[in-house]
Formats: sequence, structure tokens, C-alpha cells
Amino acid sequence: MKPGEDAPAGAERCSLCGELPVIRMSGPDRHLCAAHLIADLEERAARTIRERELVRPHDRIAVAFSGGKDSTALLIILSRLLPAWDDVSLVAITVDEGIAGYRDDTIRAAEAVTKKLDIDHVCVSFTDLVGDDLDTLLVGRETQACSVCGILRRKALSQAAHNAGATKIATGHNLDDEAQSVLMNTLRGDLPRLVRTSDADSHDCFIPRIKPLADIAEKEIAAYLFVQDLFPFLPECPYTRHALRAEVRSMLSSLEQKHPGTMRNLIRSKRTIEKQVDRSAISEPLRCCLQCGDPCSGEFCQVCMLRKSLGK
Amino acid sequence: MNGHAQLFPTHTMKIILPDATIQEVPGDPASLLVILDRLGINPAEVIVSRNGKLVPEDAVARGDDEIRIIRIAHGG
Ligand SMILES: [Zn+2]
Ligand SMILES: [Zn+2]
Repeated sequence: MKPGEDAPAGAERCSLCGELPVIRMSGPDRHLCAAHLIADLEERAARTIRERELVRPHDRIAVAFSGGKDSTALLIILSRLLPAWDDVSLVAITVDEGIAGYRDDTIRAAEAVTKKLDIDHVCVSFTDLVGDDLDTLLVGRETQACSVCGILRRKALSQAAHNAGATKIATGHNLDDEAQSVLMNTLRGDLPRLVRTSDADSHDCFIPRIKPLADIAEKEIAAYLFVQDLFPFLPECPYTRHALRAEVRSMLSSLEQKHPGTMRNLIRSKRTIEKQVDRSAISEPLRCCLQCGDPCSGEFCQVCMLRKSLGK
Repeated sequence: MNGHAQLFPTHTMKIILPDATIQEVPGDPASLLVILDRLGINPAEVIVSRNGKLVPEDAVARGDDEIRIIRIAHGG
């Protein structure tokens, strides 16, 4: 055995064939080669979609597509599952928040992917929505970056999805994101948000949102892309270090490493609570924003409240 | 000098860190888990390639392997 050669005799092999493994996965514990990793992820996403009935015949799915790893994997997986569905179409939507030194590269990466997959692609910007880019909006309030950005991105996305005639909005949220959200909502004591239903929101005012990758770990997604030479080597959003999520993310991934299954258990707890809870007792009923008419829980929607606080 | 070092006396393993800096270490066989632990990197937050090919974190690196540690950026 020469140094630098492949695995030594007796080393782990793919649990399904004799090939060299590219990843070790838990629940159940197994090693998979590149081909079996790809098949495994696509099958699990297909199962999530089937079991939760996320896609129906004649759906037009707007895919929230930033060009980062999760949405790239989502778009590729949906485009591969597409032929099996009855009259379903995809449109990719990229929101340009206007984050210098970060977003330009990801938008170029996004355009290259949709071109290669031959999928309709729409780009919208925060400047179109509120007249300023995120960097300008956030001067002096950097710690609020993720909530400001989240509110505006949600709005920009639903507007663009509506204009594209979409019946569903698909986002690339993965298992890690879901587990982080459960813990964050718990840490903030935000019960209404904790039990907000995980599957397609059924309210008529909203285009239902679906998360086909909710059962797939972040690391599995990264590996899925890497073995297909599709991993986007892009910088992390410069604002994430201000966020509670960054702390929760690092804490949860340490726990998951020491105690495999932690993230799934957290999500399972949330699902159990979700089923038991009388949602109407803890959430405000939906109303229409007095300013813009969009559905919201208070007098004004979050976007209009944000506009007001920004003096827009 | 231990037995492993004598097996590959002239080899140096090259470790490319997420920030693109390079560490050169003696080529004694070591599990990537051990290498990551020494560097204080959580295996859940990275993927690792050995000589350009993705490998699980319990794979072994040795000799003049080139190990690249890629941080998984949040979001996307
Ligand atoms: Zn295999
Ligand atoms: Zn409003």
C-alpha cells in the first residue's frame, strides 16, 4: 500500500456496494459512495414531498433560489423529480438584498445554474421593493440584520412568486435549519412561531410554502453537491455573525456530533407539541394590513411596520 | 521516532484549512476525526477531501496525502 493510495484493506466501504465511501451518515449508521449518496438524498426528498403532499398536479413551484448550497441542491433535486409529476413547472426566484462583496458572486452562480438546468429565472431586489439596498438600510442597526432582511426577503419572494403565477413557494431549509429554529423559538419564548405549522400553510391569502429538504442534514447537502462538482464555494453572509442563529448553530452541531439524533429529536418534540396545541388560542387571528392590505396578525404587516421605522 | 514515522520517513501531509492557509504535518496515518479534533474543528461543520476526493470523517490520511477542509457556509 503506497501512501496517497485509496483506502487500505479493511477500511469502510459503501454499505450498499463495494465502492469507496464519501460520507458517513447516522440514523441508521452507514457509509455511502457518491452514487448512493445522490440516490439516497433524491429519494428522501421525494419521500418528504410524497408523504406530506407538498406537490400537486398542475403546480407551478417558485423556488427561492439564492445560489447558495441549499437552494442549489433544492433546484437540482426538484428538476430531477419533475418528469415524474403531472404538469408541474418550476421558476427560480433570486432576491438581491444588496449586500456588497457577497451577493454579486452568488447571483452570478445562481444564473449559471438556472441556465444549465434550463429553468425560468426571475431576479428581484430590495431596491425595487423599498428603494434602498440592505447595506444602506442597516447602517447603525447591524444587529437586526437577519430580521430586517428576513421580513423584506419574504415579501420580495411572495410578490415575485405571485407575479410568476406560482401556486407553491419552495425553500431550501434543511434539517439543521429546522432544528435551529425550534431551539431559537424556544429560547425566545416564541410559542406561536414554534408551533407555526411545518408543512404547507393552508391560508388562502398566502402562497403555500414547502420545504422539500427539511429531512436532509446540511452536511449531506454539501456532500451531495461536492461529489457532482456543484458545490458553490461562496462566502458566508457577512451579517450572520451578529445573529443568535450562529450561536445556536454551533451549539447544536456540537451536540449532534456527540449525540447523533439530537436535531431530529428536537424536531420530533416540536411536531408533537404542534399536534397537541390549539393554535388559535395562542396566535392572533389573521387580518388585513391597514396600510397595504396584505394578510397579517396585527393592524399593520411587518413590512409596513419596518418601512415606518426606517422612515420609508 | 515511532514506527509509523519510519514507514514514511520523507512524507509530509498537507492540510488546507478553510481559510486557505496550509499546514504541513508528518505523514503518520491518522483518522480525519483526530486531525479535525487537533485543529479544533467540529466535523459537522465541514466536509473534507483527500487528494481531491470527498471522504467520510472516519477515513484515514497518511503519507503525502493532501487534505482539504471545506467549511459549510450557513444559508443558501
Ligand atoms: Zn455505493
Ligand atoms: Zn402592510
